[in-house]
Amino acid sequence: MKRIIYPTDDGGVAIIVPAAECGLTIEQIAAKDVPSGKSYKIVDVADIPSDRTFRDAWEYA
Amino acid sequence: MANIITAGNSTNGGTAITTDTSGTLNIVTGSGSGATAISVDASQATVFAAGVSGTTGSFSGNMSFNSGYGSAAVAYGCRAWVNFNGTGTVAIRGSGNVTSITDNGTGEYTVNFTSAITDANYATVLGQERTRASSDAGFVGSYSQSTTSVRINTRNIAGALIDFEGVDVAVFR
Repeated sequence: MKRIIYPTDDGGVAIIVPAAECGLTIEQIAAKDVPSGKSYKIVDVADIPSDRTFRDAWEYA
Repeated sequence: MANIITAGNSTNGGTAITTDTSGTLNIVTGSGSGATAISVDASQATVFAAGVSGTTGSFSGNMSFNSGYGSAAVAYGCRAWVNFNGTGTVAIRGSGNVTSITDNGTGEYTVNFTSAITDANYATVLGQERTRASSDAGFVGSYSQSTTSVRINTRNIAGALIDFEGVDVAVFR
């Protein structure tokens, strides 16, 4: 499973969670749902921490 | 046996009509396989066969039906829906007309539609799922409705943003 991450305007990170039923590839979802002009990365879901205690402190790297 | 209308194809060389006295009408698509797509019996009950393309067709007019409502009335559709868990590894459990959700931070999400909604004046119906009766109660709100997405946030009863165990979103228009 994959996720798409991109930096938010306030210095944080947004994580796009794909819908399996949508029929689009992860690249197509990125092209559609990442805000225009934002750089992004496609990462494994295992790379996203499951402990969300400090979610708002996460940064894009 | 039944009255059968078979769409024209390379096997039958054109539309074929077979008749009998059963009072049932079967409409067969042009695949040549003989599979019935739609059947209408003498009581006018209509059956769409499972798994045939006819069950995924479109209807451009208003669709009315009774189905326990009390009378036939126009039915308005859910144009998009998603059920996702908001704690641990955020993931979509099920969805329709949704390409993704964006996790923007604690209790902050964007639902991204596959096909745009006709305008932004739709009703967003929200729900909180809890795995235990003792889980935190809270509120779900929507904002920034557009034809392509809607943002939602989840808060506890004190008004602080928190992650819910599960969130339901449905869009009606």
